[in-house]
Amino acid sequence: MSVKKINSPEFQSAIAGGVSVVDFNATWCGPCRMLGPVLEELSEEMAGKASFYAMDVDDNPDIAASFGINSIPYVAVFKDGQKVDEQIGFVPKPQLQAFVERNL
Amino acid sequence: MEINMGKRTDVAIIGTGPAGISAAITAAVRNKSVLLLGSADASDKVSKAHSIRNYPGLPDISGSELAKSFLDHLEKMNIPVTDKKVTMIYAMGEYYSLQIDQEFIEASTVILATGVSFGRPFPGEDENLGRGVSYCATCDAALYRGKEAVVVGYAPKEEADVRFLAEIADRVIYIPVYKKADADAMPQDLFPDHSNIEVRRCRPQAISKRESRMVLTADCGEIETDGIFLLRESVSPGKLVPGLELDGNHVKVDRSMATNLPGLFAAGDITGTPYQYIKAAGEGNVAALSAVSYIDGLAART
Repeated sequence: MSVKKINSPEFQSAIAGGVSVVDFNATWCGPCRMLGPVLEELSEEMAGKASFYAMDVDDNPDIAASFGINSIPYVAVFKDGQKVDEQIGFVPKPQLQAFVERNL
Repeated sequence: MEINMGKRTDVAIIGTGPAGISAAITAAVRNKSVLLLGSADASDKVSKAHSIRNYPGLPDISGSELAKSFLDHLEKMNIPVTDKKVTMIYAMGEYYSLQIDQEFIEASTVILATGVSFGRPFPGEDENLGRGVSYCATCDAALYRGKEAVVVGYAPKEEADVRFLAEIADRVIYIPVYKKADADAMPQDLFPDHSNIEVRRCRPQAISKRESRMVLTADCGEIETDGIFLLRESVSPGKLVPGLELDGNHVKVDRSMATNLPGLFAAGDITGTPYQYIKAAGEGNVAALSAVSYIDGLAART
């Protein structure tokens, strides 16, 4: 598995079932660029437990606004379509892994 | 000194007080590549000290003399000081990524020796960070399209970020909280080309949330807005290094100056009292030796 880039039209169906981790980011955001590779590693290690997605907030302002996102990177965990938790800003891999695992 | 962006440094040291300089000297003695980042004239806290009476071998030395000998020592060992500000340090696993302006540089280990110059957060600031409070205008500006923002700037250089934000947001209120000299030099019309920036001269006191909006309470009254940007000269270590464990206002370290993040060490005032030059220098030495053994351990593993 790896982190799949998605856009607004695919969003609802992507998060509909199971545990989904969505990384809201932007190309110009430094912390997002650092978090990207960490999420890639996690998506490999947690394959089968959670699906990982990335959404560019510039390309998808509607979704970003619907979650009231005003700071990125913003990582949200969805369970069967419902948002259950959020993590704002960069965090090192062990903390990010713990954040996802406690929401499995 | 120009930073070599392509090459991973062994030890990146942030801060040019006694702790940082001592760490740089020890790491260089141990043949590690060193990137020493901080003020090129050594920390203000050293150079402005009236006299220091308990530094062994240097009785009654003045702060400016001690700072000069520190810099001479660095020069003798060919350790340049890179006068650049690190805005964030990211723990990437096997290495650290240091953000300097919009560039990233890599280091195997980091020694934090930035002192304790950061102020206390405003009431309500920590709780709302990322939820309406931001420290980085260039990072979060795009999320304020068609909205309003308040920017509190601690130095004139932040005015560039205010202009940048005003290109995107509908309306920006700028509150300059400068040192006296900068405040006195500030022109009456700070942003002649931006009609959507309003400058207010007052002192912020607290931050709170009201429904989905933010409120900045200041001595000139309450300002309701969509987001509050706080652009400070230095941020607390926990915000500089996401995931770093603190002990109150200080970085939590063990006797080897190791923090909770493997490969990241801290030394000097940032680790706690007593705030003494010789204690800082000693801790810088320990931190550098710990960084060296950490690097040697990394090399042994691969």
